[in-house]
Amino acid sequence: MNILSSVPSEYLGLSSALAVLVLLTEFAMLRVQFSRSQVKLYAIQSAIVTVLAVFIAVERDIPGLFIVAIISLILKVIAIPKIVMRLLDQTKVELVSSHRISVPSMILLALLLGAVGMFVIDRLPFHSHSLPTSGLSVSMAVILVSFLLVIFRSDVVSQAVGFFSLENGVSMASLVVAAGLPLVVETAFFFDLLVAVVVFGVLMRVHHQRTSTLSTEGLNRLRG
Amino acid sequence: MSLILTSMCILPLLASVLILILPPVIGKSLSLISSAITLILTVTLVSHGGVVESLYGWLRVDSLSLVFILTVSLLYFLTVLFSIGYVRESRNRWTNTKYAKIFFSGINFFCWAMLMAPSVSSLALVWVAIEITTVISALLVALDDTDGASEAAWKYVLIASMGLGIALFATILLYYAGASVLGNTYDLYFPQLLTVAHKLSPVIVRLAFVLAVVGFGTKVGFVPVHTWLPDAHSEAPTPVSTLLSGALLAVSFYAIMRYFQVAIVATGPAFPRNVLLAFGLASLALAALYLASQRDLKRLLAYSSIEHMGILAIGMSFSAPIAVIGVLLHVLAHALAKGSAFFGAGTLVKKFGTKNINRIRAGVSRLPVSGPLFVLSILALSAFPPFGIFRSEFLIVLGGFKSNASFVTIVLVLLITVAFLGFSRHGNQVMFSPPLEGGDVTKGEVSYWMTTAMVLALLGLVVLGIHPPQQVSTLLTAAARELSVKR
Amino acid sequence: MKIDVSVIQLLQVATVLCLSPLVSGIVTKIESRLQGRTGSRILQPYYDLYKLFKKETLVTQDSGIVFYLGPFVAFTCYLIVPMLIPVLTNFPLPLGYTGDILGGGFILALAGFAVALAAIDSKGPFAQLGSSRAMTFGALIEPAILFVTFTVALITSTDLPYAEAATIRSSFTQVIRPSHLLAMSAFFLVVLNDTGRIPVETHASTIEFGMIDEARTIEFSGPIFAIAKWGSFMKQMILYVILMNVFTVPWGLAGTKTVVSVLEAIAVLMLKAIAIGFLFALIDNSFSKLRLFKVTELTATAFLISVLAVLALFVGGG
Repeated sequence: MNILSSVPSEYLGLSSALAVLVLLTEFAMLRVQFSRSQVKLYAIQSAIVTVLAVFIAVERDIPGLFIVAIISLILKVIAIPKIVMRLLDQTKVELVSSHRISVPSMILLALLLGAVGMFVIDRLPFHSHSLPTSGLSVSMAVILVSFLLVIFRSDVVSQAVGFFSLENGVSMASLVVAAGLPLVVETAFFFDLLVAVVVFGVLMRVHHQRTSTLSTEGLNRLRG
Repeated sequence: MSLILTSMCILPLLASVLILILPPVIGKSLSLISSAITLILTVTLVSHGGVVESLYGWLRVDSLSLVFILTVSLLYFLTVLFSIGYVRESRNRWTNTKYAKIFFSGINFFCWAMLMAPSVSSLALVWVAIEITTVISALLVALDDTDGASEAAWKYVLIASMGLGIALFATILLYYAGASVLGNTYDLYFPQLLTVAHKLSPVIVRLAFVLAVVGFGTKVGFVPVHTWLPDAHSEAPTPVSTLLSGALLAVSFYAIMRYFQVAIVATGPAFPRNVLLAFGLASLALAALYLASQRDLKRLLAYSSIEHMGILAIGMSFSAPIAVIGVLLHVLAHALAKGSAFFGAGTLVKKFGTKNINRIRAGVSRLPVSGPLFVLSILALSAFPPFGIFRSEFLIVLGGFKSNASFVTIVLVLLITVAFLGFSRHGNQVMFSPPLEGGDVTKGEVSYWMTTAMVLALLGLVVLGIHPPQQVSTLLTAAARELSVKR
Repeated sequence: MKIDVSVIQLLQVATVLCLSPLVSGIVTKIESRLQGRTGSRILQPYYDLYKLFKKETLVTQDSGIVFYLGPFVAFTCYLIVPMLIPVLTNFPLPLGYTGDILGGGFILALAGFAVALAAIDSKGPFAQLGSSRAMTFGALIEPAILFVTFTVALITSTDLPYAEAATIRSSFTQVIRPSHLLAMSAFFLVVLNDTGRIPVETHASTIEFGMIDEARTIEFSGPIFAIAKWGSFMKQMILYVILMNVFTVPWGLAGTKTVVSVLEAIAVLMLKAIAIGFLFALIDNSFSKLRLFKVTELTATAFLISVLAVLALFVGGG
């Protein structure tokens, strides 16, 4: 096999390692027990994505990415975790979030799903000048695992964090295939994320006020 | 013309902000003025026709976008009319409170976002606009502040945002496909992308298209990603349900149409059509079956929306241009029909104080005007002549036979019939069965604002059904031409 | 002055044999210092062994020959493994190629098996409980070990520990490639599990219900216990050596056959062992023990990371 002899260069190796780290934090979010740790993990994940953006900006000389990195630092590493943490402070209930299935089976499932996603994307003809295209496979895995996070954890914090980390996966994908994405568009995405966060926060609060819990187990009245 | 486009894209936003900062009393009148002017501006754009650009090319409407802009502004106007009655009727809770303020501000903002989505020229901004519609409408769904509303809002914002996350991925993939032809500096400007569509990598466009259909399809309400839709539609305040069903689903479908437009050139027409066919059949079949077993009046209408979105998708899968004309007409007609049906349902719910179908009886005799109008709306939704949906579904079926897709077309007609059976059974029970012991209500209309909105919507439907205005026909034909493969 | 390779070969075994109690003593010392205690002397393990060798062996009536043999079989196994792994040199010694990672793994597993059998033969309920638990978790961690081996095999085209260490030394790009980093972390978790540290087991506690590895030797006494204890010191050191000299920091090994470089290598090895012991002690003090049924979460994590390592090799950028 050819992969045996092909050692990635320093740049590619480091950036892939960062990408894999993002995936690992996603898995950690899936299995971690406390909502707070989950939010912290999200902040860490965003920080890694930010570092990745800076890294690419320096190495591949794409100055626009610096601004993206700054916005992402302010918004995703600081603001969003802070908003969610404040909510958690105010609610003071149920800091442990619940799983619908056991942690090991969830991880195995996520692994399977992630592997499928990675191999599927790997078959596609992508060429990127900013990052190894393997980053795209990894972001696909992040996206798929974030879906599991939303599906199998039944509390509003996990579900919201699942959505935010889905966005991290997409951000990483955009670093791979669309590093030169015009700034206006990129900024629009970020602005949108901010709006989404505010609304998530409002709805989480509404949910908490009505049910005085953060669990979504009770959300089963509407069906059919 | 570009000035008109610009002002159309500013006005509702302005109204929304003004309502929020000015005293609550002006909410209704300001909304009415804003929606009426928007409608007039849209009609001007429609009669002018052709491509209009504005704001250095950030705004751009062609015939296809105009169809959707027209849909949104019509429903915007009608909903504001209805809302005035709706809000007045629940005087104790709504009027002159901060709720009314938020309500009208939200409605304007929501409509602004829905108007923006077809007006912007970049596919990235289309995504942004649709995400904004999600967040603002989620807040509006939660506005009623009941357990059901907060549950529905949470499900809605979560599922729709996850779906839009997928759509964002699709957007980025499409950018990548375009960037490898056009260079890194282009910003997903749509016409630019379309001119090079034949050079794009088919594999990647294929992936982007499927992801876009799944992603935006979540907001359209395609089965199996429709699960938020019945909840949100049933728990939201009725005017919001109307906008969700008639305008929001259509606007999300608009995004899919844009991807479709690129995909049929880049990957050949067969693939995108088959994808839409699969989602369309699934949606239509499931909705047709679920319609029969509903217990909630607004959920009934929500499933009917899924049914009609399925019809749209199936219509797009036919290759004959006449089917596409039918689809576009269907968007317009469905908005009016669903608008009037929701208005009727809202009136019934207000009158009887429940959404449970089994507890609403003898609507025709208790609501002397809007009762019969609701019956007409249900008939219109079931594609009875002389209403617009009859004409549009007829065109779609005709297109199906012309595209040698007879089997699919027959299935389509059968499923529509099944849906009609379930739909009419419930409609019949609500309107004509004898009143319930002890659950009877007094005779009389709830509000004539609400009735007026219904009458106007049904009038529009009749016009579309009998003889659409020349300008509308021209618009639909031009839009269908833009969606055809040859270029 | 040069020494013969066979002497170095023996020296590898001797290093592990003689220094493993010291490593254990150092780790215990660091641990107690981190907890604010003075702790026992770092030579305490040697005194313990000496004391035990002097004592008599008590055996229950029901025990058979397996009870006596088990610790010795395990001890022998632990003497064999250092021949296969790069303890002191970065060039392969004569016996270095007689067994690959899997071979070493089998021998370690045989040792575990022998101890487990002996524990069962002791007929003590806690010992039996401990061996059943140890075997269960051993089986659960096995997939992770396998996938780490696969990763090594795919990177180096062999699965010799020497080759893996040499590959890592060859260039910085080998160190930072994601598959290597992942395999390394997975193996770290494996070591955590196999040496019976927190979060799997409170190794210093006397609460029988939470015991896994410790419980197995609970019925031993006298010289047999000394052998078993010494064996577990050696096992810990062997795992540390594999973790350091194969996966993490395969630097500082003797490159030539001179006495100085070999002595240097021993010194560096001790420093590395102290460093890693510090890391383990830190983990010991920062986390709480997992409930027994939650240990599967740790093994699942190790499995996850090791599978990701293989995936990263194919589709994750090397």
